[in-house]
Amino acid sequence: MGSFISNLILASVRMASPLIFLSLAELYSQRAGLVNIGIEGIAAIGSLTGFLISLITGNPLLGVLAGALAGIAVNMIFAYATISLCAEQIVYGMAINIFAPALAAFIYRVYFGSGSELVQAGLMGSLKSMLGIKSNNFLVNLFLDQTPMVYLAYILIIVTAIYFTRTKSGLNYKAVGEYPKAAATLGINVIGIKYLSCVICGALAGIGGAYLTTCYSKTYVDGNVAGRGFIALAAVIFGRWSSGGVLIACLFFGFCDALQIRLQLVNNTLPYQFFQMIPYVATIVVLAAIGAKKAGPKSSGQPYRKEER
Amino acid sequence: MAVETAAKEVLRMEHITKQFGSVYANRDINFDVRAGEVHTLLGENGAGKSTLMNVLFGLYQPTAGDIYVRGQKVKIDSPSQAVKLGIGMVHQHFMLVEAMTVFENIILGDTRSKGIFIDQNARKKEIMELSQKYGLDADLDQPITELAVGAQQRVEILKALYRGCDVLVLDEPTAALTDQEAEGLFEIMHKLTGEGKSVIFISHKMREVLRISDRVTILRSGQTVETVNIGDVTGEELANKMIGRELKPSQYEKMESDGEAVAVLNHVSYHKNSKHNGLNDVSLTVRRGEVVGIAGVDGNGQSQLAMLLTGNISPEEGSMDLKGSRVARFDPNGFIQENVSHIPEDRNKAGLVGNMSVSDNLVLKTTKDPRFSDANGLHLKKKAIRNYALEMQKKFDIRCSSVDQEARNLSGGNQQKVILARELEASPDLLIAVHPTRGLDIGATRFIHDTVIAQRGSGCGVLLISADFDEILEVSDRILVMFEGKIMGEYSGKNPPIEEISLAMAGK
Amino acid sequence: MKNKGLGALIIVPVLSIIISFLIGCIIIAALGANPADAMRYLWKGAFGNVRNLGTTFSRSTPLIFTTLCACFAYRCGVFNLGGEGQFIIGSILACYIATKSPLTGVPAILLCAVAGAVGGGLWAALAGLLKVYRGQNEMIITIMLNYVATLLMGVVYTNWLRDGSVPQTVAVPDETQLPSFLGLRATIAFPIAILTGIVIFYFLFYTSSGFQLRAVGLNMTAAKVNGFNVKRYLLMSFIVSGAIAGLGGALELLGTQLRLINGFGAGYGFDGVAMALIASLHPLAGILVAIFFAALRVGSTTMQTATGVPTSVSDIIQALVIVFTVAGMAMVKLPEFKSRFARKAQKEA
Repeated sequence: MGSFISNLILASVRMASPLIFLSLAELYSQRAGLVNIGIEGIAAIGSLTGFLISLITGNPLLGVLAGALAGIAVNMIFAYATISLCAEQIVYGMAINIFAPALAAFIYRVYFGSGSELVQAGLMGSLKSMLGIKSNNFLVNLFLDQTPMVYLAYILIIVTAIYFTRTKSGLNYKAVGEYPKAAATLGINVIGIKYLSCVICGALAGIGGAYLTTCYSKTYVDGNVAGRGFIALAAVIFGRWSSGGVLIACLFFGFCDALQIRLQLVNNTLPYQFFQMIPYVATIVVLAAIGAKKAGPKSSGQPYRKEER
Repeated sequence: MAVETAAKEVLRMEHITKQFGSVYANRDINFDVRAGEVHTLLGENGAGKSTLMNVLFGLYQPTAGDIYVRGQKVKIDSPSQAVKLGIGMVHQHFMLVEAMTVFENIILGDTRSKGIFIDQNARKKEIMELSQKYGLDADLDQPITELAVGAQQRVEILKALYRGCDVLVLDEPTAALTDQEAEGLFEIMHKLTGEGKSVIFISHKMREVLRISDRVTILRSGQTVETVNIGDVTGEELANKMIGRELKPSQYEKMESDGEAVAVLNHVSYHKNSKHNGLNDVSLTVRRGEVVGIAGVDGNGQSQLAMLLTGNISPEEGSMDLKGSRVARFDPNGFIQENVSHIPEDRNKAGLVGNMSVSDNLVLKTTKDPRFSDANGLHLKKKAIRNYALEMQKKFDIRCSSVDQEARNLSGGNQQKVILARELEASPDLLIAVHPTRGLDIGATRFIHDTVIAQRGSGCGVLLISADFDEILEVSDRILVMFEGKIMGEYSGKNPPIEEISLAMAGK
Repeated sequence: MKNKGLGALIIVPVLSIIISFLIGCIIIAALGANPADAMRYLWKGAFGNVRNLGTTFSRSTPLIFTTLCACFAYRCGVFNLGGEGQFIIGSILACYIATKSPLTGVPAILLCAVAGAVGGGLWAALAGLLKVYRGQNEMIITIMLNYVATLLMGVVYTNWLRDGSVPQTVAVPDETQLPSFLGLRATIAFPIAILTGIVIFYFLFYTSSGFQLRAVGLNMTAAKVNGFNVKRYLLMSFIVSGAIAGLGGALELLGTQLRLINGFGAGYGFDGVAMALIASLHPLAGILVAIFFAALRVGSTTMQTATGVPTSVSDIIQALVIVFTVAGMAMVKLPEFKSRFARKAQKEA
């Protein structure tokens, strides 16, 4: 039982990491007033790119980097359409959700042919293995038996918290999401920050996707993001648009994910699908429980036009 | 301020023209500001005051014309450029981020101090010094949402001063203020000019203009009429120049009705303790054949009064009688069935479905009517709807390229006529009209007033809510004044005691 | 004015399709195949003979249902992204009735259809209730419900209705399968889908309720102030759109798939959303778009066999169509674009 719980905690931390990247992606986007429901799709392309580059170079870190770049590239389509063309954000996010996974699937087919043989790439090593530590103590495992990406996720949480609460630039950034017109009158480059937000969002969503193929599973399969992009949306709402809140939400959803995997291993009387439902059902329950107190950035979802009468 | 200091010109706008599509908002406007003066831009709604200031502040690019600051020709292509040139602006709709504190709002977009992090202590000290110098008291750590309108305005002024402005534009700053708050603002303006700063004051309230201006530039339909020294004109002359015709006393006969009471409120309260968005023990009666005007500064519970009288909210205390029977359930549809018509406050948000056609909007409430559909709504008679729309277009003089045009593409006046046509063709027993002429030109305003008076003539009870005091005086038979959710007093529309009513509007 | 707006609604998607095909051709050329050949086989595979045409109709049927589902919900301003889940729930209920109930033949088919619609409607109502009474974001909820429905279907075909050792359900008995439509490979589900589209079109544009539903979708505040029961319309749009998808799922099972299996219904929900958007939420246009997308999919199989170009090229083309259409629609609405257009027209006049 003790090992069940300690394994559960270890797995929660690990499962929360991709969600943290994706949720932060959404957070940076929404803080600049852009609701991007396309991060599920961006994560798919990041996942595929991460896998391919990691396979080709043999270096998972390069894979992650490539995933970030691919995410940025795809999100620039979203950026141009929603910022410059003022397309509806929700609608365009959906377009990205259809386009990006199709592109990922296509590249995979073209690269590997239609053969069904599963190609596997190496996973990123944990800090523990890099340092050559042998101990199997729970705390050692919790703090050291993690890939560098996990540390990056938690560092990003802290950096984001500081950025939005302590820095001048972060204040300006938030103003763009709250009241872009006011921000513009104060000389803040609204359009620039919105584009910047899409670069950050694309990179983080790409990294979140790449995490799945460089740190979690050795291979890429279509649909491997499995709704994490949407759960990230829920995590941002649940986390009340703050970095710390997002962390708690992600740990909770990560816990649900870890729990369902553990329960599957322990229990074999119930069909395993019921356990797999846990993260999704938990998302619904959490959203229903917190109710509708709207607390997000005020201008979220609305297009911004410079000269408007 | 004395005119001698006039010598030093800080700002000049020459031949400014601004076009929106084919519409001229500004046409060949000339305007200059001297150091230490209050220069008023006077004009009616839509005269082009705000457009001109948005050009000055870099929010709009002029179609033609030049701007000179301290004698240098400049191109102002963004607000930050304007700020660099020492121009500050307090917009009519405050540019404050509600989710942030006073302090955060003031330092937003700050480029003067180096470093990544916010240097709270140094910045706060700087701001406190400014606020003491000009008597602009503010609690820096308070969130904007907790501030009253007057306090928010002070934050806006502080914001501009913090950025080192020499010329401060105040766009209709008194519109939402009580008289007392306005006094406070005038004091601040004096302090500013005393320090050699200039103020551009935008208003159409004659009393204030006469009281604090040094010079006045009058705009009318996008063009400059004249610039005058305040000592050289009387209020009447100014008003005539602004409107372009003589001001006339009300042209409608005032009625005293003893008809049936269509709507009665008995001690109604809603969010009683909210000063700006509540009702506190409101009792009133609207009879057939009269126009009851609700006067008051915006945001003293008028919106809630209108929502309650149309069934959009229900009272927390008290009751309402509609045509003699107690209202049991407050829902908009029930009120519509009881023949209550509503000209809502925000025509785009609540009055019209902008993406639907003019004809669809005309029958919005009546698609189940046998005139417009068979079998209780199961088949719409498109042709009948169209013919009806054409008829209404003529009757209400709705100017649109076709009744199939989307309502959002119509001008404000014509949008309002669509709503009017819809609401009045139902021959209502009670009409709730909220700011029915806001933002409209004189012609459309006159048309709407005529129509409302005609409704009164046919036995409808009208409740008119307006922040435009002149409008209230023009059409009301009885005047009630609202302040902080309360009815402050009731006055006859015939020879109303203007002085007394103004005091009541300020809560005295 | 009206004509210009309508023009854009047609020109933008058509242009998007052309551009997407051009890009598709470039990709095909880059893969070393002859684009003209590929296009020819694509066309042949989709429409080349009666058999293929039947297949195209058959493939389009579920897409038409999910497209109509999206059209209906979005007309009321409800972003139901749960077409897939509602489709699956409908098919699960139909599967139970077809394989477990004593009924067979027409009564069984009718019951399956009704149960599918009711099941889909109720599944969507879950999200509807959460939106209307808890103010929840319907997009996330409906997507989460998609995953739950898919997993539930997994339980059904791996456990409850499993057919021996294979992870799939037992097949729908012959007499409960849908009859063929005019001897084509498509079943009568295809005309039912089109009929559903016509009914929805009529409802939206020729009835008072449809009119009010659209008004709610376009301006909720105005709808409320003007006395419409907004909550009722919101709930109704969830339930009806869910029912459409559920009916589609039931008919897809009885007509084409015959058993639940891994991947059943996968992607249909989002596809429906995409097609509804390309069709500017017009139900009849939605039918055409769905048939077009189905043709692309059917034709791409022939193309792959004949030229070796992978079928996923057609997925890319479809995805590009949506990416371009939505961006194009936004672009023509921009004031800058409009004024340029107006100036040009002025010059020509």
